Amino acid sequence: MKINVLFFGMLADKAGNKKVSIEIDKPNATVADVISIVREKIKTLPEGNFLLAVNEEQAEPSTSISDKDEVAIMPPFSGG
Amino acid sequence: MTKEDKKVRIQEEDFSVEIEIKELLATSKLIGGVVTFLGTARDFSEGKNVETIEFEEYKGMALKALKKLQIEMLSRFDIIEARIIHRVTSVKPGEQIVLIVVGAEHRKEAFTACQWCIDTLKETVPIWKKELTPDGESWVTSHP
Repeated sequence: MKINVLFFGMLADKAGNKKVSIEIDKPNATVADVISIVREKIKTLPEGNFLLAVNEEQAEPSTSISDKDEVAIMPPFSGG
Repeated sequence: MTKEDKKVRIQEEDFSVEIEIKELLATSKLIGGVVTFLGTARDFSEGKNVETIEFEEYKGMALKALKKLQIEMLSRFDIIEARIIHRVTSVKPGEQIVLIVVGAEHRKEAFTACQWCIDTLKETVPIWKKELTPDGESWVTSHP
């Protein structure tokens, strides 16, 4: 299945991109699987526990994903 | 824009605190106190002069999170009405960034709700700020 991955703020700068598409062919795939594929693909992505979202809702590494989902990997928020 | 949409907004343009208070007061004559929090851009941060602050949002999710925050504030506290406006643009020191307006029958709940709202906004709304200084630019990673 195809997953669109979004980066924001400092992470987009480190990744050199705001968005990447990845293919994942694993049954019962989760956000954690997406992150490990992204880390393989983008070596410049820093280590850390980032905030996560699936289709604009906050998510956890254990959150399940489906084809065409949008997964966001986000640094700590700093609005306000 | 419906009346409900006007209460919670993310926008580039500046806002008028006076108009927002007036419109909030127009919703109920039961309101006996209004508390506002206005966040503005500082010209000095982490030991550096700040010339500009740029904001980035996760479009869609940021507005959803802000609306959820307003609904939760209305159910959690004994208040009557609330508005939240956040600018996502490039701002200079002294300019307005975020406004929270809370109307309640009595002041105590309005103060408590307003404080809770800005604290929770900083933790739950996907907006980021980047400070531009004479030495370069850096993303702000903390929310004191």
